Amino acid sequence: MSNVLRPYLAAVRSTLTAALTLENFSSQVVERHNKPEVEVGGSKEVLLTPLTISRNENERVLIEPSVNSIRLSIKIKQADEIERILCHKFTRFMMQRAENFIVLRRKPVQGYDISFLITNTHSETMLKHKIVDFIIQFMEDVDREISEMKLSLNARARIVAESYLTAFNS
Amino acid sequence: MDTAFRKIDIDVYDEDVLQEEELFDADPREPAQVLSDAKQRQVAVRSALAKSDVLGALNIVLENAPYGPNVEEAKTVNLSTLLNILNTTKSADIPNVIKGLSQDGQDTLMKYLYKGMALPGGGDINWSILLGWHEKLTEVAGTGCIVRTMTDRRTV
Repeated sequence: MSNVLRPYLAAVRSTLTAALTLENFSSQVVERHNKPEVEVGGSKEVLLTPLTISRNENERVLIEPSVNSIRLSIKIKQADEIERILCHKFTRFMMQRAENFIVLRRKPVQGYDISFLITNTHSETMLKHKIVDFIIQFMEDVDREISEMKLSLNARARIVAESYLTAFNS
Repeated sequence: MDTAFRKIDIDVYDEDVLQEEELFDADPREPAQVLSDAKQRQVAVRSALAKSDVLGALNIVLENAPYGPNVEEAKTVNLSTLLNILNTTKSADIPNVIKGLSQDGQDTLMKYLYKGMALPGGGDINWSILLGWHEKLTEVAGTGCIVRTMTDRRTV
């Protein structure tokens, strides 16, 4: 892991650990409903201060805690047009299969690329430190995945162009 | 048929609805006074930094930090004063400085670190320095410090 990335991920890890203190909490507005308060936003007193952790202006994480759920949104590094397209395709692919990832949200929060919604049910049925590990692992992998895809895309484009242009080489 | 009435949030008109300002005790000082305080502190911090007294400078800036609505300008002044201190501190000194702070001071420092990171960038924000301070502060003050930052309504 590179030296710059480590404090960033350490900050995300400690903030996420602090935010993942969730409990079962029924809706105060509608009786016998139980909704993630961070999504509903109905009662101010159960929403906590949202925290942002940034590595630079293009890479940041927003953590919005509440009493029974937290929302974690990641802005992935996109240096150029190709990375932007790859990132869009990659996140779209996963968000269409959000139910397999359990904590993934189907739509990202405005201004971010991918969002997770962790509710008290998740923190009760799964181990808390494993959820944190999963998010950190995801953040590590997604950058690597996108740069790998970019490399293979470029290599492929080069081969295609070469074999196409040999036709004119006679 | 007009259905716009369905979108009206009737809970706002409840007489015991919770207001934003009931969540925390308001700052007793007037906004103008808070601003002049912040500017005075900027001068005091500069003289403390000239004597390379980082802990003293941090104590000045973290005590009675402006919070709540209507004091945006004072908050900006205080934040830039604090960022100035953070940027000039040598990374080897950071753990000792943090250990010298009181618990309230540590909590307020954590609030400012998150506020600095939440800004869109530009100016004298250096994210790697903020992340370095965050790491050291978490080592000393623990996760509880972050929890207090989240739950405290007196946002700086």
